[in-house]
Amino acid sequence: MAAAPKINTEPSYRDIDRSVLRVMEPAGRAYWAWIGFCFTLVAIAGGFWARQIYSGLGVTGLRQPVMWAIYITNFVFWVGIAHSGTLISAILFLFRTKWRTAVYRAAETMTIFAVATAGLFPLIHLGRVWFFYWLLPYPNQRYLQPDFRSPLVWDAFAVSTYLTISALFWTMGLIPDIANAREAATGWRKTFYTVLAMGWQGTDRQWRHYSMAYLLMAGLATPLVLSVHSVVSWDFAMAINPGWHSTIFAPYFVAGAIFSGVAMVITLLIPMRRLLGIEDLLTEWHFDNLAKVVLLTSLVVSYAYITEAFMTWYAGDPIEQMTFHMRYFGPWGWMYWVMVSCNCVIPLLLFSPRIRVNLRALWVITIFVNIGMWFERFVIIAGSLTANFEPSQWSSYRPSLTEIMITVGSFAWFLGLFSLFSRFLPIISMTELKEGIVWLRKAVKRDRVRAAA
Amino acid sequence: MSTIAIISSFADDARCAHAIEELRAAKVGDFNTFSPIPSHKIEHAIGKSKSPVRWMVLMGGISGILTGLAVTIGTTYEWRLNAGGKPLLSWPPFIIICFELMVLLGGIFGFLGVLGLSGIPATEIALGYNGRFGEDRFGIVVRCDEGDAARVESIMKESGAEEVVREGV
Repeated sequence: MAAAPKINTEPSYRDIDRSVLRVMEPAGRAYWAWIGFCFTLVAIAGGFWARQIYSGLGVTGLRQPVMWAIYITNFVFWVGIAHSGTLISAILFLFRTKWRTAVYRAAETMTIFAVATAGLFPLIHLGRVWFFYWLLPYPNQRYLQPDFRSPLVWDAFAVSTYLTISALFWTMGLIPDIANAREAATGWRKTFYTVLAMGWQGTDRQWRHYSMAYLLMAGLATPLVLSVHSVVSWDFAMAINPGWHSTIFAPYFVAGAIFSGVAMVITLLIPMRRLLGIEDLLTEWHFDNLAKVVLLTSLVVSYAYITEAFMTWYAGDPIEQMTFHMRYFGPWGWMYWVMVSCNCVIPLLLFSPRIRVNLRALWVITIFVNIGMWFERFVIIAGSLTANFEPSQWSSYRPSLTEIMITVGSFAWFLGLFSLFSRFLPIISMTELKEGIVWLRKAVKRDRVRAAA
Repeated sequence: MSTIAIISSFADDARCAHAIEELRAAKVGDFNTFSPIPSHKIEHAIGKSKSPVRWMVLMGGISGILTGLAVTIGTTYEWRLNAGGKPLLSWPPFIIICFELMVLLGGIFGFLGVLGLSGIPATEIALGYNGRFGEDRFGIVVRCDEGDAARVESIMKESGAEEVVREGV
């Protein structure tokens, strides 16, 4: 790729288009090598899954009573990662947050691929995956209907609605930008973008309906984003299992989801802005604000950890207290303290404005948050199952190579899809950046002044 | 008298909106605008009512709630599962299903509504469309009688058009 042209401190509409469309020019070998690496890992993971389908779940480490472990942890982790996209694209849109325009497309794209990754795990977790359709609400041969009192059925509705609405919202935002790409492209790319743009021409008639629908979709997506992780949390909270059966799970999971999702956005955007040469569109101001969201949600998550411990102590249920004692000081206690260090202690560094705009430090902090949030889900899900009501059933769990490779494959799948998208479709919304050009100009000017100093 | 098209381009939406207001006051021909961003100024100048897509979203949302109620209540009566003598209909979980279907169908209706009302997918290029109208220029295309052309051109130029071009229809 040619060196990124620096846009001036007063970027125009044309500068924005040029910077974004330049990213979509044909990529070099390094890019394709990266894509090849990701999908090779996916193929290896696919091989392990095929072996699991053929042999049964016995090839995993799942044994009674720990029948939910890494697969369900991955499911909850990826659904959580998906949350920041809709937070940034819908909730912050309704609040008219200025800094969202440059980051929302990447966050929304991350949402789509994270939900697509999460959606694989309930299937991977099935012993007989060819019966996945049993989750759908239709009567079987004995006219036995699905039980709508089961949280697993709510989950199927919530996650599939979330995927559909996020995809529609994302597609709507993309249409005007793809029309721009269509004008600049040549050869097969022109045909590709012409088909995807569906004849968009930016007429007043089109904008009138588009703006209204976009606002209403944001209004619909806002409660949806809060509901999805609440429903996921009820997969656990509705069970009477100690360590799961808690009323704080919905807000606790939603805060954790936004925390991990925004951290993942930062983890992806920091290298991406450098590799794609879009430093002038994704400024320190954007990262400063994203880091503030991470800090806020870290404090909410820390508060939830404290509340959870307090409720267990105050309620006085000995079984619940034993579960929490095991969680803190049992054989897997180290995982709990890794989680507390990554989610509650390390993000406190973000109180420093200097660290919030030090992108290397910020990147490292968000990696820790990702690790911490994965462990949080594992500690809650698998950890709570090891020691149940019946001491005779107590057991441990050790993941098998199959589970580890499928987990690695899920990260490769997500990163591969995201990388593919970033070079073929506009990773930054040109339309919205143009709408908020005044704020972009201020941010670019601030960055230049800081760099000069 | 034959009809012609006058295509004008503007550097910003304020000038474009001003030209639209002048054009409406003069009552000459009908017009279409192009812009790289949605602009409230242009929307106000055109003076059309709010998009009916909102009613489609409402209809989708109501259909979703009704579908949710039908599915949950219907299947409960189809297979009566007595759980400890509790009431047959469990409203709290049913609300979740209704809510999810409300959002799902509301969103789908809204999306299809935009496509239908905006005339996309469109295979034809609108008269006077130019790639720069997607990039950084705001355009007005006026269809009028040849006799009114000079008047329209002067309105455009006085409103600050950068370029005014005549084209046969």
